[in-house]
Parts: sequence; structure tokens; C-alpha cells
Amino acid sequence: MTEGESSAKVITHIRETDPAEPEVPFAEVEAVQAKEFIPVMKETLTGMIQRGLEAATKPVFNWAGRNSLFPLHWGLACCAIEFAAGFGARWDGERFGVVPRSSPRQCDLLIVNGTVTWKLSHKLITLWEQMPEPKWAIAMGNCATGGGPFRTAYSVVPGVDKLVPVDVYIAGCPPRPEAMLDGILRLERLIRERKG
Amino acid sequence: MTGTALSLSELPSALAGKFPGKVTPVPGRKDMLAALKVLPEAIVPVSQFLRDQGTFEHCALVSGVDWIDRIEVLYHLWSDEYKGYLELSVDLPADEPHVASVTPVWSGANWHERETWDMLGVRFDGHPDLRRVLMPEGYRFHPLRKSFELREPEELEVKARHV
Repeated sequence: MTEGESSAKVITHIRETDPAEPEVPFAEVEAVQAKEFIPVMKETLTGMIQRGLEAATKPVFNWAGRNSLFPLHWGLACCAIEFAAGFGARWDGERFGVVPRSSPRQCDLLIVNGTVTWKLSHKLITLWEQMPEPKWAIAMGNCATGGGPFRTAYSVVPGVDKLVPVDVYIAGCPPRPEAMLDGILRLERLIRERKG
Repeated sequence: MTGTALSLSELPSALAGKFPGKVTPVPGRKDMLAALKVLPEAIVPVSQFLRDQGTFEHCALVSGVDWIDRIEVLYHLWSDEYKGYLELSVDLPADEPHVASVTPVWSGANWHERETWDMLGVRFDGHPDLRRVLMPEGYRFHPLRKSFELREPEELEVKARHV
């Protein structure tokens, strides 16, 4: 007992602290530290997992997205005839995985194929905003690119890039279906180079 | 159609008798049955009379011309009876032109008058729904006026959204 007494004495001596500061039991200190540590650790781990998953899946989504661009089935002017021909039997845009859909909710590509007037501009912006991310826009033909022959008219938007961010411009009045498909393939290359 | 239809030869004298001094013929229109200049205040009664007694049951066109010093509104009326067009025209002051609407007489004139308002800024009093028809609401110009010049796109842009 004398041994224990003496050792207890020594420990008391070491642990002697400021009497004004209440002594906190060690277990409680641990608990408080853990309370702060767990959420931080959780966040870090979740972030790591998220970033890891993103890094692992991004190329997959990129590959899947660029190889199945769904344009909005929306015809405005004579370019829409070429657009339709591009998905007909002769040019068959579907062999590139490009399938026109009738709802903007199912689309990730807006092909503006015709003259856009100021009266139509609100509808165009609404359709663009209804499309889910990620989304791209192609200005097909001279009218959509820069107003075309109607550039100085009182009613025509001189280029749809005033309304939506355009990724690819296709020249022509109207462009042939080959040109439209080339524009889509260029957009695919653009998406691949962006890597997401 | 109410009453008996007048023959084409009776029409000018009947008009002159019913609206003295309000209707004057415009010479030199070979492609029309006749062209008549009507005083603005008489356009609705004259239209009513031509529809009911003159068999002009179809208002084919309402349009306008900006002559800078005045604005002319034109009405082209078709008659199945006479197989031909009759032209009515009304001269209006260039600043704040307005004339009574003929939509109560011919319902088909509704959109024609809206277009004339949209393009030339002619107000049609008594029109049931005088809104722009070709240009968006909030557009600041009447583009077929001679005073309209080519403008920068930023000036033409309509900022107000209608979603």
C-alpha cells in the first residue's frame, strides 16, 4: 500500500492544475473531440468518394452523352427540311446516335434551324431553359448564325447567340444534311476535348 | 343580308343620298368596282350600309399607307353578288391616327385592324382586342411608318419576358 500511496501522490503532483479551471474527465474530452472530428472526417471521406466516383464516371458519361445527342425536334424554316432529310433514310442521322425528341425535357441538344424573330425569342429561351443539363446548342444555317438575309429587318434576331450560348455554327442557306451531320460530329469532338 | 340588294349602278346614288358629303369617289381604279374616299366619322355607317344593302359581306383586307403628311387606311370589300372588290379609304392625321373599328360590322376585320395597329400605329376605337399581332408586346416601334429607320439590334430587342 505504501507503494500505491506514494505513486498516487506522484500522479496527483503531476496532474495538479489551476484550481480555477474545472478538471474535465479525460473521457469527456475524447467525446467532445470526436463530436467535432466525425463530421469533418465524414465530409472529407464523402468528398473523396464523390471525387473518385466523378473521376471514374465522368469519362463514361462523356462518352455516353456525346454518342447519343438527342436534339429537339423543332423546325423553324427551310433548314428544318434539311434537318428532316438528315434523319431520313438517305443520310440517317440515327447511325450517330442522334435521335430527335419531341420534348425539351428529353433533349440535350438544341438545333436552331431557321429564322428566329423577336416574337419567337421568348419561346426559344423557354425551350432552352426546359432542357436539362448538360446541354449544347447548334446554330444551323445563316439565319440562326447571324440573321442571314434578314439581318437588318425590324423583326429578326441577328443570330441566336444573342439568346442562347451556341457551341457550333453551321453555314449555308440552307446547309445540306451532310453539313448538319458534320456540325453534330464537330460538337461531339468538342464535348470529347472538353472531357465533360 | 337584309332588304333587297341594290344593283351596282344604283349604289353610288344611294350612297350619295344616304351620306351626303361623306363619300367621294376616287377615279382611276380600273381593277376595282369602285374606290371611295370616306370621311373618318362615317366609316362604320357606310360599312354597315355596304354590307346590308350593297352585298359587300366580306372584308377582304384592312391595310394602311403612310403618306408622311397623312395616314390612309384602306378597306377592300368583296361582293359575291357583283364578283368584285370595292375599295374604301380613310385619311387620318399623321400624329395619333385613330378611326372607328369596323370589327362590329365584319368580324373578319379583327386581325387586319390589329396588324394595321401593329405596323402603322393606327388606333381602332371600339376594337374588342387591339393588341399587336406580328411583333411582340413591348416592342417600341411601328415598323411600316416612314419615320422608322434601320436600327441596332439592341434597340429592337424586347427585354420583357412572357413565360
